Formats: sequence, C-alpha cells, structure tokens
Amino acid sequence: MIKNYFKIAWRNIMKHKVFSLINVIGLTIGLSASFVIGLMIYYDYTFDDFHKDGDRIYRVVSDFKSPQGTFHNSGVTLALKDAIADNSNFESITEFYINRPSKVENKANNTEFKWPNFVMYTDEAYFNIFDYKFIAGDKSTALDKPNNVILTETRAKEYFPNTAPADLIGKTLVYNDSINITVSGVVENFKKRTDFVFEEFISHQTLLQTDRREELLERQWGNTNSDSQLFVKLTESANVVSIQKRLDDLALEHTDEDDKKYEMSREFQLQPLSDIHFNEDYGIYDWSKGQASKSLLSNLALVAVFLLLLGCINFINLNTAQASQRAKEIGIRKTLGSSRKQLISQFMGETFLLVFFSALLSIVLSKWLINVFSDFVPEDLSFELFKAPLIVLSILLLLFVVTILSGFYPALVLSKFNTVSVLKNHMAAGEKKVRLRKFLTVFQFTIAQIFIIGTLLVGKQINYLLNKDMGFKTDAIVSVYSPRSERELSKKELYAEKLRSIPEIKSVSIGSHAPASYSTNTTNVTYTNEEEIIKSEMQYIFGDTNYANLFELDILAGRIHRNDTVRELVINETLLKKLGFNSPDDAIGKALTVNDEQTPIVGVMADFNQRSLKSEIKPMALRGDWYRSQFSQFQAIHVSFHNESSENLKSTLTKIEDAYKSVYTETEDYRLQFMDQTIETFYNREKKISKLLNWATGLSILISCLGLLGLVIYTTNRRVKEIGVRKVLGASLFQINTLLCKEFLLLVAIAFVIATPLAWYGIYSWLQDFTYKTSISFIAFIVGGAAMIFFALLVISFKTLSAANANPVNSLRSE
Amino acid sequence: MNTKLLSLNEATRTVNSGSNKVTLLDDINLQVNEGEFISLMGPSGSGKSTLLNCIGMLDSFTGGGYTFLGEPVHSMKEKNRSKLYKEYIGFVFQAYHLIDELTVWENIETPLLYKSIKSSERKALVADMLDRFNIVGKKDLFPQQLSGGQQQLVGIARALIGKPKLILADEPTGNLNSKQSTEIMELFSQLNKDGVTIIQATHSEQNAAYGSRIINLLDGKIVEE
Ligand SMILES: Nc1ncnc2c1ncn2[C@@H]1O[C@H](COP(=O)(O)OP(=O)(O)OP(=O)(O)O)[C@@H](O)[C@H]1O
Ligand SMILES: [Mg+2]
Repeated sequence: MIKNYFKIAWRNIMKHKVFSLINVIGLTIGLSASFVIGLMIYYDYTFDDFHKDGDRIYRVVSDFKSPQGTFHNSGVTLALKDAIADNSNFESITEFYINRPSKVENKANNTEFKWPNFVMYTDEAYFNIFDYKFIAGDKSTALDKPNNVILTETRAKEYFPNTAPADLIGKTLVYNDSINITVSGVVENFKKRTDFVFEEFISHQTLLQTDRREELLERQWGNTNSDSQLFVKLTESANVVSIQKRLDDLALEHTDEDDKKYEMSREFQLQPLSDIHFNEDYGIYDWSKGQASKSLLSNLALVAVFLLLLGCINFINLNTAQASQRAKEIGIRKTLGSSRKQLISQFMGETFLLVFFSALLSIVLSKWLINVFSDFVPEDLSFELFKAPLIVLSILLLLFVVTILSGFYPALVLSKFNTVSVLKNHMAAGEKKVRLRKFLTVFQFTIAQIFIIGTLLVGKQINYLLNKDMGFKTDAIVSVYSPRSERELSKKELYAEKLRSIPEIKSVSIGSHAPASYSTNTTNVTYTNEEEIIKSEMQYIFGDTNYANLFELDILAGRIHRNDTVRELVINETLLKKLGFNSPDDAIGKALTVNDEQTPIVGVMADFNQRSLKSEIKPMALRGDWYRSQFSQFQAIHVSFHNESSENLKSTLTKIEDAYKSVYTETEDYRLQFMDQTIETFYNREKKISKLLNWATGLSILISCLGLLGLVIYTTNRRVKEIGVRKVLGASLFQINTLLCKEFLLLVAIAFVIATPLAWYGIYSWLQDFTYKTSISFIAFIVGGAAMIFFALLVISFKTLSAANANPVNSLRSE
Repeated sequence: MNTKLLSLNEATRTVNSGSNKVTLLDDINLQVNEGEFISLMGPSGSGKSTLLNCIGMLDSFTGGGYTFLGEPVHSMKEKNRSKLYKEYIGFVFQAYHLIDELTVWENIETPLLYKSIKSSERKALVADMLDRFNIVGKKDLFPQQLSGGQQQLVGIARALIGKPKLILADEPTGNLNSKQSTEIMELFSQLNKDGVTIIQATHSEQNAAYGSRIINLLDGKIVEE
C-alpha cells in the first residue's frame, strides 16, 4: 500500500513539475533558514552545559544604581569573599583574579611570550567547582603554595613544545621579568563549548608579587574591579532567598557616606552559570567573541518561522487549487473501498515526500548558508553539529510539523469530496476554497510587504546614523595607542615629534581617547551660585592644547586650557545648561568643585556625540593632564591627514608605524584605529539587523511570488478557453492581461493596506531605542508597495501574456 | 436463496437546477434478493445510471426509504460504507473511471490493496484476471494509452478481482464488440450461478436477457415488471 502511495505521489510530482518545483523551492528556503538558525540556537544554548551541577554554580556580580542609571560590573569587591565564605548555603566558593602578564619567559628554552591572555590567579576551590581533568599534577596541592601555576594542555604546548605533560612538573617560567613560577599541574582544555577560556591558573597568593599587591592587601569594600571574579557553588538544599538577603545586607552595611549623598547604591547579584553566555551587562571573558544575544536569536527564529510559513502556504494554496485534478482519482478510490483515513494518509505521504526531498536539499544548502550568514554564525559553528542527537530529533520533528501544516488541510479538503459529483463532472470542491487561497495569499504578501518596508526604513536610519554630523571631525583621523605597559610621557612626545615631520600629516595631538569612544571617565561636579548648589556628573576627555583644534571642536566662548597641566576646564553645552547658565559667556571664569578642589571654567565647546547616536549627549569637559606626575591620562596620539586618498594613505600609515617602531623598540603592541571605523562599530548590531532584513525580504518576496506564479498558472490554465473566446471576439492583448491581472493585484493591494500599519508600528518601536531618528517617511511605504506590485505584475504578466498570446484556435479546438 | 439484500420503498431523487425542481427518480419500489441478476432498461436519460449510483450509495435518494442488508442507508456511517465497497460491492462504470496515474496492472491491483491482501497473492490474482480478459500485453500501459473497449475490460476486471457479492454494472459492454460482450455476459451469469448478485444497466435486449428479472425505466419511473 505504502509503495503504491509513493508511486502515485512520485508520478503526481512529476506530472505537475512547475507546481512541485515551486513547493520544493519554498519549503527548501524555509527549512534551510530553520536549520541554520536552529543550529545557531543550539550552539549558543549548549555553552557550558556540561559542568557537573552547573545549575548550582553562580557568579556573584555587582550592580551600581545611581540617578544616572544602573551600571553593571561582572566583578565584585575583593572584600566580599571573606564576608560570605562561612555561609552554609555554599558548597564551594572561589575568587579568581584575571591579570594579563606583559611577558612570560621560558629561560631554559630562551623563549618569551608577550601578553599571553586568559591568565588568572586562583585557588583549589576553582577546580572543585569546575571539573578539569588533570593530566599531570595533583588537584589538591597544585595551587597550595605561591609561585605555582597550572597550565592547560594548549598553553603547555606553547611554552614547552615537545615536552610530555608529566615532565613539565617542576619547570620554571618567569613572569614580568621578576616572578619565578613553577609548573605544578597540567589540565585538559575543556573539549565542549565554553566561555571559560582560561589557559593559566596561578596560585592566588602570587598576586601579592604583582602590581595588584595593595589592592589585595587592603580588600576595600569601596573598590570594585571587573578583574576580580567570585564564583559560588550552592549546596543542594541552598536557600537562594536567604543568600540574596545576606548579600543585600552586606551591600547596605558597606555603603559609604559619599555614595549616600549622591543617592548611589550597590547590589550584589547571583548570576546563574547559564546566563553568562547571553548577558551583555556582565560580558564574557573572551571579548573578541561576539556575545550571544537572546533577542537576536529570537528575531532570527521569527524570520525562520515566517519563511517556513510562507513555504507551507504555497503548498496549501497550490494543492487545494489542484484539487479538482485529483478529484476523479479520489472518487474512484472511494468506490474501491478506500476509507477517508487512508486517503488522508495517502496525501500526507505525498506531502512528506516533497518535504523530505526539500529537507535533503536544505541540509546541503545549509552548508553554504553558514558562510553567507557568517556575521551571525559563530566561527566555530560547524556543519558537524547536524550529527548531534538533539538536532537530528528536532529536524525530524520539524519535518513532521511542516508535513502536517502544509499537508493536512489539503488532504482534508481532498478526501471530503462527494464521490458522484466528482465522478460525474470533474469540477469539484477545490473551487470553493478560493476564499481561503485568497486569504493565505494576502497573508504572504503582507509579510513580504512588512519586510520590504522594514528593510527600507532600517536602512535609512543606519545611513542617517553613519552620516549624521557627530559634532566633530571624524574622517581622515587615526589614533595610535601607546603600549599598555608604557606610561612614560617623554616617549609619547618623542613619537609625536616624529609624526609631525611626516609631510602627509596635518596635525598631531596627544590625549586620551577620541571624542567618541567606548571608554568613559566620569566624575561628579558641584557648582554653587547665589541661590543653590547644583550637582551633576561629568565625563572627561583629556587632550593637549591641540586636541580641540585637531578634532575641530567648536569653541563657543572663552578659550581652551592654556597648557597640558593647568587646572582648567572646557565644558560642553549640555553641562552648561545643566549647571543653569544662560549663555556660554556667563560660564567663563566661574569655578566648579571637582574632587573638593575649585576648578575654573575657561571655555565652552559645542556639543558633540560621545557615543553612538542611540545615546544622549552627556555633560562633558575637556581638560589637560593635570595629575600627570602620578598618573598620566594621555595614552593615545591622534593624527589627522591632509587628505585621505587611498594610495597616499597606505604609505602614510607605513610611515606612522615605522616611527612607532623607532620610538617603542621593545614592544609589538601596535594599535591603530581609524576614527570613522570606530564610529561604524557603534552600529554593528544595526548593520546585522539590516543584513538579516535584506535576506528575509529577498527570500519572502521570492517565496510569495513563486506562490503567486503557481496560482496564476493555475487560473490562466483554467481560463485558457475563455481567453480564446474573448480573443476571437476581438479583445486586445492588453485588455485580456488587465482582466487576468486585476484579481491578483487586488490581493496585493489588500496586503499593502494591512502591512502598512503593522510595518509602521514595528519600525516606530525599533526607533524608540535611538535618540536621533529619521522620520518614518511615507516614501518608504510607497516604494515598498510599488515594489511589491511590480514583482507581482512581473510574475502575473509572465504567464498571462503567454496565455493571451497563444493561438485561440488551439485552445478552443482541444476542448 | 431468498435473503433480502436491499429494498427501496417509494424512493425518489430530486435535484434543484436553478429555480426549478427536477425529479430524476420517482416513487421507486424495488426488492432485491441475494442471488438475483437484474437488468435495468430504458431509453437514454431515463435514470438508469442515477438509480445504480443511488443503490451503490454513491449518490443518495432524497425521499423514501432504502435499506441495505437490513440497515437503513441514510444513517449509515462513511466508515461502514467504505467497508461495504471494500468487501461487498463491485462497480463497473459507464465512463470506466480508471485512475489515470496508474498502469493497467496497478488499477486492477488497487482493490486488493485496500483489502490488505499479501503481495504474492495479489500478483497471482491480478495475473489471473489479465489472463482471463486477454490484456496481459497491456499491463504496463496507462489508461490513456488504451482503446475505449480495453479500458472497459480493465474496469470490469477491477470490479471482479475483489470477489464482490454484489456487482453494479453500468453499460458494462457498451464499448465492446458482440463477441466480447457475449463473453462478459457468460462470465456474469457464471458468477451469478455461484451466488453473486448482479444489477446491470443496459440498452441491449440481448444482454438484458441474461438477467433473471428486467426492470424498465421511463422518465425516472418503473413502468412494468
Ligand atoms: N445532478 C443532476 N442535475 C440535473 N439533472 C441531472 C443530474 N444528474 C442526472 N440528471 C439528469 O437525469 C437524467 C437521467 O440521467 P441518467 O444518467 O441516469 O440517464 P441514463 O438512463 O443512465 O442514460 P444513458 O442511457 O444515456 O446512460 C438525465 O436527463 C440527466 O440530465
Ligand atoms: Mg447511464
């Protein structure tokens, strides 16, 4: 019986090649998207799911609340561990401190390694919480003493090539030129997906020998460093509420007076292990990997669902339209004793065959898609994941659901046919489903339309953001950062001097970050006028006297600071208004209290954007480097070019790098950033959304138009005789085409009417994230509608014109 | 031999075509016992096919009573009906009604599939039928590749293969030559002798004569017995 079904299914598929092709293309697109997106979801949700009792492992993190908002820090104060260590709710508690050595030397081999990353200082408890496999050394004693280190297999191979792990125990490495550390263990790297990417585990006491000595000795409540991490493993019967209560109490107890004055408070939170991979507030340890985003994943899943739905709709539409052709077979089968159930399973079998075929195609396609979507797909997500049992199971389930979704309704319609009416005259119930088909077609085009309008408007917003004047010069500027280990100012000045002698360079300035960057340095200021005391937060940018000139900052009143070390401020307009001045001139000469010292305002600069245009402009001041003797804020050299033509640029950049190497001979820590590229990175997320939308739009148009094509083919085929008659009666090609198009264009028009408010609402909510937004222009809607009608017309005319062109005699004779 | 198979009691069938009501079958009273061989006769358009379809439950009477094997048909579930088709009734259609997507062999085999008969047995039965109707050479052709008469033979073969106890045949020999139609009629009376009930519609006096009873229809009414 099954064999018989498949035989018929196959013959039917081959008989209606165009329809089958349309169905397969639609389903394949939907399934491929689902597969790839499903893999991505699986990939991200299986990070760190292998740790024993992972559901009981938490990271303790800090949230700082202030009137300006909440700030998140993945670290906690070093004081916290001792305060909670004796809590019986914890099975284990471990602190570790992330600190990147500037240099590690293997003296025996005479090799050195600069800035090795993923190095932490920790204790045995870390290995009790996270179950590493020890290849050499003993877990319980390896980190007992100071100056011991456990290496991962990978790192061990790097430091000691061609040495067996067991032979490594007792070998010595020299950190930062002075600290001798003995290898006391080697562990396997985690084999599964993990955010715990650490490679070196140095015993915690060793931290006392580094520049973090003071911090560790003092363990101050007021000091929170994100490098200081705290993990706990709860007991099975732990009471989370009481732990949180204890943490809240501790936070309250250790709030200092200043914090209270500024209405600032701190909270400790327990962050579940499974949250680490997704929560951008606290980040992951390897910054170079993009963090997984639940909202991005759910948007992707939504796209997949829509594409799949569109494919299923084609299936339903074409199969119910075709029903009349299957009617006779159904009638006969009924008289031969087929039950309705058997008929339904026959049709479902046919659907499954197509779905299965599409699935095979999709798996092949996925391989390619993983490349196309490389912006979204993590680098190490491989095709191999398809072998995971959960994935295989989900695919089967998905195929089953798709089969039901697209096959069940047509099967129901088909199997319901009344036997005799079908056998007598081959017209049948399929005709009655016209309304349903129209509804589904409208649904398809609505989705496609929403995608089109969305794409246009998101594109418009991104363009607007990238091109909007930030308030300072952003093109033809690069910033070169000084080596991280190098604090001396003289070298920077030497370097700046060398740069000034390069003819292509227009101007050079030493300072902190560029006016717009990811880094902020914030403090509080107070201003006392005759009536009141006004408080505000204030961000700093630091620069020499040429900084404002180089970035073309607009000075509205007064002047910039006279030299690098004088205690003077140039405030921006936002701060000006916040402090209650009416005009820039009023502020000149007034003094602000910063860190308990009176600091005069000598100038007012125009506002510019310090971040992406999503955020508001913050109160800010430009100042020199007045604490230079203790800690210099100058860490970058900004360079502007005369012109940024590409052929010149390359040689100029080489000159800049050569100059760098001649000054900083010891280090390879060369970091150069283009201002305009930095600004573009502010919008990485928006660009991803835009790319995603482009694809979704293209594919949904394709699927919908294919579906439309199928319906058009079906209707025109049925109306071939009518067309013939009309032609014989003298109708023109255009008249006939209009006649045929009208019906379908109406559907597209209805879809437009439905899509417009939905798209408007979606874009409106998306734009709420941005401080600066483009208008939602009605042109986008018109263009969207026109594009859809254009595509629909193209598809319709493609078929109807050929039908209208056909020799009328042929169609009439054959009837 | 005289178990009552079906009985029609003042059965009528009317349809609405546009605004006027058309009566296709009018006040039909008919009792059929198991083992009978009935010939329905009448001019074209007199309602023979309509009556056969209604008896076969492909269509329904709009008035009067119809009981089949003691069960009122109007309350019969679709499930029971398909069970009857599977096990009891064989149809031969005036318009053949073969499945276009299946070959001759597969068309004849289909009723056996619904009866869940084993593959080896199916092969033997189908081969036997092909042989009996002399169409072995056509077994792999599709219906469109056959002549009208050949299609009719396939239709008859398909109706007989499930060994039905009631055969409803609408012009079973309409497209066959006289030799072929004699053979089919001989086959029918042989089956009838073995206990199969047969109701056939025909224009041919000669064929009608094979039946044990002739019913004449005119404008949807039974005129004489
Ligand atoms: N659904 C219907 N609606 C209206 N009239 C119908 C319908 N079905 C059948 N008829 C009419 O009923 C009459 C009887 O048709 P039927 O097919 O039973 O005739 P018949 O006796 O089998 O004729 P033939 O010998 O030509 O096969 C015909 O006049 C036909 O037009
Ligand atoms: Mg007839």
